[in-house]
Amino acid sequence: MSILEYNGGCVLAMAGKECVAIASDKRLGVQLTTVAMDANRIFRMHDKLYLGLTGLMTDIQTLDQLFRFKLELYAMRENRLMKPKTFASLVSSTLYSKRFAPYFSEPVIAGLDKDNKPYICSMDLLGCVAEETEFVVAGTCAESLFGTCETFYKKDLEPDELFETVSQALLAALDRDCISGWGAVVHIITKDGVQTKELDGRMD
Amino acid sequence: MPLSDFLDEDLSIKGSKSRSNDLDLHELSYSLGNELRVPQVERPSHFIRDAFVDVPEKDKLRFAHGTTTLAFAFQGGIIVAVDSRASMGQYVGSGTVKKIIEINPYLLGTMAGGAADCSFWERDLGRRCRLYELRNKERISVAAASKLLANTVYYYRGMGLSMGTMICGWDKTGPNIFYVDSDGTRFKGHIFSVGSGSTFAYGVLDQGYSYDMSVEDAIKLGQKSIYHATHRDAASGGVINCYHVKEDGWVKISSEDMMIQHRARVSERKAEDEASDAAKAAAAQPASA
Amino acid sequence: MGESDYSFSLTTFSPSGRLVQIEYALNAVTAGATALGIKAGNGIVLATEKRLPSPLMAFDSIQKVSMITKSIGIVYAGMGPDSRVLIKKARKAAQSYYQVYNESIPVGQLVREVASVMQEFTQSGGVRPFGVSLLVAGFDDEGPQLCQIDPSGSYYAWKASAIGKNMVNAKTFLEKRYSDDIELEDAIHTAILTLKEGFEGQVTENNIEIGVIGEDKLFKTLTPAETKDYLTELE
Repeated sequence: MSILEYNGGCVLAMAGKECVAIASDKRLGVQLTTVAMDANRIFRMHDKLYLGLTGLMTDIQTLDQLFRFKLELYAMRENRLMKPKTFASLVSSTLYSKRFAPYFSEPVIAGLDKDNKPYICSMDLLGCVAEETEFVVAGTCAESLFGTCETFYKKDLEPDELFETVSQALLAALDRDCISGWGAVVHIITKDGVQTKELDGRMD
Repeated sequence: MPLSDFLDEDLSIKGSKSRSNDLDLHELSYSLGNELRVPQVERPSHFIRDAFVDVPEKDKLRFAHGTTTLAFAFQGGIIVAVDSRASMGQYVGSGTVKKIIEINPYLLGTMAGGAADCSFWERDLGRRCRLYELRNKERISVAAASKLLANTVYYYRGMGLSMGTMICGWDKTGPNIFYVDSDGTRFKGHIFSVGSGSTFAYGVLDQGYSYDMSVEDAIKLGQKSIYHATHRDAASGGVINCYHVKEDGWVKISSEDMMIQHRARVSERKAEDEASDAAKAAAAQPASA
Repeated sequence: MGESDYSFSLTTFSPSGRLVQIEYALNAVTAGATALGIKAGNGIVLATEKRLPSPLMAFDSIQKVSMITKSIGIVYAGMGPDSRVLIKKARKAAQSYYQVYNESIPVGQLVREVASVMQEFTQSGGVRPFGVSLLVAGFDDEGPQLCQIDPSGSYYAWKASAIGKNMVNAKTFLEKRYSDDIELEDAIHTAILTLKEGFEGQVTENNIEIGVIGEDKLFKTLTPAETKDYLTELE
């Protein structure tokens, strides 16, 4: 079993019209044993920037702390909030700086830029950025998520429709993955604020 | 297919090395007889193993191993309960697999390991049990039936069979459970659980089991044990199937989604919490005159 | 910085609380050729005298206005060799920033980086302060900006400033000439006129150097031919 699959879990981000969604499951496992159903793998960087991390939970938590540290220093030093695209570069260069002893985590970044235009991207564990305009996925059921997103995605969805689409895409994919699921959480980022909703999912 | 083909060897021990030449010829006459063809080499198990040398671990012939099955005997017979998830690695291949195999109206087998291996050999076992019955004018004992299966898998030992099964039935001696696996292991016992979720199931089962329990309680215990296993074990899930083996054969008890049990448990807990909160609040209330 | 345990800072407090080494460094700046900068509404101009000690020297081999990033430029007054160290460090800081964030360094960040280097050289063992003041011109998301950094490491943003030999007169001149709605072309003219004040001899395209950043946010040093055009316009 790959170390990226040791704890299980997945993240999905999808762009809408002046809004983005980022969602994840809530399972934390040790291989096949489920040890927690309230795991958090999506982190708020600022009001219009969220970071989702998949992979090894210990590295997920370390990376969250590291990026929060870097972002707070940046905010104080430069007296401004980091743009999503700039943050993606920061994540990328931070991951590549550990090229030969990498963090075992594949990040997903979702945010709104200055003009509230959605920004989403995913990365491999070494920091290779893949920017997309529709949706990005990562984690143990990435393949299934690609399938469900490809089927459900529509252009320029309003926040409510986006929430519905992301929820259905995520729940459907979770049911085909042994080591993801046990509930889910969806964040909808809009220019007026972030809406966070918990989803009930199958508990097996 | 002449009946004599069967009568020659229907109950023979497959591991017997003293097969005559004409039997070998008969093996060639059809491809899926009562014996599967094995590579014609000195050591067939080594041949199979060597054929997969240098193949990456992930590409090797591997079968679904994630499962939870259990069977236990008590005063009212045997309860058999299983989950229904078929996983291929971490991928959920199916959520509605029937893992209790109805060998005949008096015998049940459970499925863990390779689905094809279990279903094929337990069906084969059903055929041979029927032939035993026709010849001897009485039903085969659970001990004998399980021994037939154990001998069969022992014959193919090392060649990749993957099975962990419980043969359950009621015979002259009463309710019997035999655990048989593809290593050739065969145990008689009262309580068994097999599969990746078995540890979780054992935990609940051992905690709630008593020989004298009622049929109703036993059914609940079996279902609950499987439910907890589907909840904690990633490779188990889906529907909980439950059978009851009685003196006059087995009956199917239930087949319901584990989420039904889950919701019941959640609301039960909620009610308990509310009750205890109410009790605490009442206790904290100063006694008024 | 120090080579051994006995390598202590040369910049030490005088009994009255002053750091005379920094004051000496400022003297070195004041001895240098005049340089100035003007921030306009739509750009910035940097200008400096480029006096040659001998007419035998090749004037085109001397460059006093340097590009740091494509939209930031620096001019110095004081010791040329010291300025080269700072320019090298500024360019490195800009590139490190770009490597991490994939985005050009903001002027403020670049100034902070360079100023912290200059400050470090007032407190470290075995080194002396830089004998230069810098004028940093840049155009970023915040608009056009002009900053001055002194040998102490202190830095300020300016609308217009001057450093070097004629700085006092030049600043007085700029105060009179500057208006908040000045345009870049006017600022370039004002810069040349300011240099002309107190210039020993005739200003030509070969003894001054001008750097500009326009609305395209690109820094460039004017060629002698371009400088000559501006000089002609002023006649």
